[in-house]
Amino acid sequence: MNHSTRLLITAALAGIATSSFAATSVKASVNGMVCAFCAQGIEKRLSRLPATKAVYVDLKQKIVAVEAKDGQTLDSKTITAEITDAGYDVTKLETVEQSVAEIKATMKAKK
Amino acid sequence: MRRLVVSIVWASAVAFGPGAAVAAPMGFKGSVMAMGDLGPNWRESWANYAFTARDAIGAGGLYMRSDDETKTRTLAEVNYTRLLRRWNLEDAQANVWLFAGIGSIHGNDFAGTKLAYAPGVQVDYETTRVYLAATARLYRATGLNHDFGSLRAGFSFYEVDYDEIQPWLVLEVRRMRGLSDKTEITPMLRLIHNRYFVELGVNNSRQARANFMYVF
Repeated sequence: MNHSTRLLITAALAGIATSSFAATSVKASVNGMVCAFCAQGIEKRLSRLPATKAVYVDLKQKIVAVEAKDGQTLDSKTITAEITDAGYDVTKLETVEQSVAEIKATMKAKK
Repeated sequence: MRRLVVSIVWASAVAFGPGAAVAAPMGFKGSVMAMGDLGPNWRESWANYAFTARDAIGAGGLYMRSDDETKTRTLAEVNYTRLLRRWNLEDAQANVWLFAGIGSIHGNDFAGTKLAYAPGVQVDYETTRVYLAATARLYRATGLNHDFGSLRAGFSFYEVDYDEIQPWLVLEVRRMRGLSDKTEITPMLRLIHNRYFVELGVNNSRQARANFMYVF
């Protein structure tokens, strides 16, 4: 195996490793979220899901973000149902390749 | 002016009907919420379990005392709370709550206990900066009528992040039949955090009051 081939394999493996560990989060826009005490139900219910790694609630921008544990997938229907059971309405849901920490930093930068 | 305030309070009492001065009288589905409304003439504490996103059952106790401190009432009740209607808006939330309570009431001016029933209604509207609520509850038993009504309005000093403490100023006006002829007016400092809810104030009779809510 020559030097170029080794480099190519190393680069490919690094790429696979990076994509495997890229954080995935579900970001929801939620209506009715005006009070932190009342919205704690969203955080508590979503935190109990087996695939949840972290939860972030932003009252000002009406955003709830849930990060999946490595190698696990968050089900959009389940997220919507949990937020609904906490008493709120989901108006938009999207999956993003960002961690909750990254989403939080982006939201804070907007304020 | 006093007559106008009294009229508004009683209009809400007739149109609506509860006691505890709370924001939302139940937690999220599967949660247990404990609440308290504590003062010299009115002490109420109860806990309920939300078995759906809109229904909760619970139990509580209420102690009422007349202004001259001669008459007292003690009510032990089981209650049902129903979120009849909720509007989840982009920047606000509005609710209509129904209450139904039944229990036994004891007084120091009659023998034994009486079967009491306590239906009620609360309507509220809230944004991250403004809070408005009208609540009313009937406290009835044979020969007793201690119907209760309250209006609450408040504003927050500033918006905060989800994990920060938000201070509010809330003014509550409330009135109760049978034990008091006064309209109780209480300015309160409300502190909201994502784990607790506390209100502290002093009413127009210079009595200290404290309310709290906690979700388990």
